[in-house]
This record gives sequence, C-alpha cells and structure tokens, in this order.
Amino acid sequence: MQGQDREQELVKIRAKLKELLVSNLNMEGVTPDQIKDDDALFGEGLGLDSLDAVEIVVILQRNFSVEVKDMEKGREIFRSINTLATYVYETQQAKK
Amino acid sequence: MNIAGMGVVFTRGRGAAALEQALEQGWVAPGTVAVPAGSAPAYVVAPETLADKTVLAKARRADRFTRMAVLAAADALQDSGLAGRLDTSRLGTIVATALGPHTTTFGFLDGILEFGDAGVSPTAFSHSVHNAAASYIAMTLDVRGPTLTVTHFHFAFHQALLLADAWLAEGRCDHVLVGTVDEVGAVMAYASGRLCRTPADGRIKPLAFATAPEAVPGEGSVFFLVSRGEGAGYGRVAGAQLTAVPEPAPEGAVHLLDADGLSHDESGYRAVAREGLPVASYAPLCGSLMTISAFHAAVAALMLRRGRRYAVPVPDGAGDLQVCHESGPAEIRHVFCTRLDCAGNRVTLHLAR
Repeated sequence: MQGQDREQELVKIRAKLKELLVSNLNMEGVTPDQIKDDDALFGEGLGLDSLDAVEIVVILQRNFSVEVKDMEKGREIFRSINTLATYVYETQQAKK
Repeated sequence: MNIAGMGVVFTRGRGAAALEQALEQGWVAPGTVAVPAGSAPAYVVAPETLADKTVLAKARRADRFTRMAVLAAADALQDSGLAGRLDTSRLGTIVATALGPHTTTFGFLDGILEFGDAGVSPTAFSHSVHNAAASYIAMTLDVRGPTLTVTHFHFAFHQALLLADAWLAEGRCDHVLVGTVDEVGAVMAYASGRLCRTPADGRIKPLAFATAPEAVPGEGSVFFLVSRGEGAGYGRVAGAQLTAVPEPAPEGAVHLLDADGLSHDESGYRAVAREGLPVASYAPLCGSLMTISAFHAAVAALMLRRGRRYAVPVPDGAGDLQVCHESGPAEIRHVFCTRLDCAGNRVTLHLAR
C-alpha cells in the first residue's frame, strides 16, 4: 500500500517536472509527453546545459520547496526525470 | 554613411518586403495584448514572425525582445549581400532602445517579490539587462567588433546613428549594424492606457496634430547595415542633427513626422510641417513606439530605393497640408524624418539618394 502511494506520488511529480522543464527552459519543439522518464537531461539526451542546471535548481526550490546545495550530488540527481522526481519525493518525505 | 542593408520586424511581418507590402496595403486593425484588466489594443509581433530555428538556433533562452533584434539584425546583414564577405572583426553593433526588455525585467522583479532573491530565475536576470540583445546579435552573427547598447527615451536611434558615424569616421569599423528594438508587454500596455488616450477603433491619427493625441502601443525592431564604402542600396544617411528641414527644401523631398500619439501634445509637429513639402507618417502601420524614428527611416530608405511614395495609412486631420494620399512612382531624392520630444526638442534625420 505504501509502495503504491509512493509510485502514485512519483507519477505526479514526474508529470509536473516535465511541464516545468518544457515551459521554463524554453524547450522549443518539445512537449512534456515526448520526454521519457529515463531520458538523459543533459548532453546527448535532451541537450540541456549547465545554465539549465542552475535554472532547474530554482524550479525545484520554487515549485517543490526542495533545495539542491551540493552540485556534486546534483550530477546524479539531474540525470533524468526519474532521478529528479525521486530526489524531490524523498526530500519531501524526509521533511515530514 | 551608406545604407547597404535593412532588416525589419514589426506587427505586419519580417523583412523589407513585408514593410513594402504593408505600405502598399495600408492600415489594418491592431491585435491585443493581455493586461491586468483583460486586454488592450496593441500592434504586436506575431509568434510565427519570430519562429526561425536557423537564425535563432543559438538563442533558445532569448526572450521576444532579443529575438526581434537578432532577426532584424540578421536580415540587415543578409539583405546587404555582404554576409560571409565581411571582416567581422571590423563589424560593429549598436542596439538602441527606449525601454529595453521590460517584460523580462518586470518578470525578474516579480520573481524577487514572489520567491525572494534566492529563488529568482538566473536566466531572467541575465536577460533583463538592456545589453542582452546586443550580446545575442554578436554571438549569432559572429560580430567581433565593438558592441554597444544605447538607451534614450526619445532619441535613441539618432544617438546610435551618430555613434555609428563616429565609429566609421575614426576607422574603428568598416561596417556597423545599427538599429532599434522595443517591445509591448503588459506593463507598457497598461502604462499607455493610463497615460494616453486610446482610440476606440485602434487607429492612430498622427496627422491630426492633437494636443491630447491617441496612442496604441507597438513593437518591433529595425536594423541597418551602414558603411562609408560599398552598398548604398537604400541611399545614405546625410545627417541626424538638432536641425530643421533646410529652407528652401531641396527638390524631390518628403517629410516624415514621428507623431504616433505617445507625446502629451503633438501640435508641435504641425509647426514643423512645411507648406508645399509633402508630409507623411506611417505610425498606424507599426503602432506607437518610442523608437519609431528607425521605422520611419526604413520607410524613407524604401522610398529612396524604389523611387516610390506610399499613401499615408490614416490621413485624418491633415487639413491643408500636402499629404501623400496615393502610392506611386515619384522622383524622391531626400527624405527628412523629424522627431520631437515632450519638451519640444527636435531632431531631423536626413536620408538622401
């Protein structure tokens, strides 16, 4: 039951993240549903760069009240929508 | 200073051909822009006009203000036929603006108010400065010469032209991309609605010389590639000074008046209009714009290039003045463009064949 709740919450977070990335990062020609959960966000994947990484930090802070202070840790967190959503979920759970 | 190329982005499209088409077609009703109370009339640039994935390939983060400027500057370079042949280390860029990227600037300020200074978008910050457009132009067109942004409320374009002429005269550059950009956003539309009267039908009447004129905000970008050497396809800039039209006016002259409704009193334009010298204003095609002088310079350049005069889109109120009522071939050798500020200061730009 707890696992189901976690997965439902992650689905919502992933969907919201995709919408936020497309709109806030001006990802022209890309729609949220075209982004796969495991797509690499940077480099060969969606082609985001270091400036986008800074913008994602602000997006997480504004929309999920989640901070990313350790940029070394950020490399892993920012790998994909899946890793981002998991970080958001776990950080929010830890605050409760 | 010769005009070798021209780029225009405005409510009716992009490029010299779009401007010429608008001049031939005449006035069309403006669109609207969202304001807190709903919507307000405005001569806005359509999103499809700014959809160019080739020129803007490196400008994903650019806002509308910058996109308009980059496209107009790129088109001016392309139009000159000198793209790829210029020494870009000897090519300068001067961007003139009255209000800068104020939509982004206010968005950034709203971000601080809403999320605090640590929660504001770094992209919004970097694009909120007036120099962002010039940076994008330099990056997109590989301009390696001097790059500068000039901000002036009333005479930004004239200041930029004088500076371009100085750069060419002192040999700092061989060519200069010089132009203007200003945008309409919710703040500008709101301010215009509060400070100026708005015509019910959206028609600006620049030749009415009203003491309480009506304005409909407009936006766009106009760029010229100027040089001392090759390319005078659009004539030359013979002067941009604090002067009047010479007395007597030279043969084949036309006088464009920058009246567009944004001044509190435009009766001063009637005083500078000369009896017997054809006058015109094309503000109803681009909207009320603090940098309308560049738009009129583009119309002047087309007149000189084509040997053609264009009917004024809204002739209302011109009285006994000699107004260009019909489009057609004409022996145009000089075009004077006069701009007044709210204090009555005057600059007359002189373009000649």
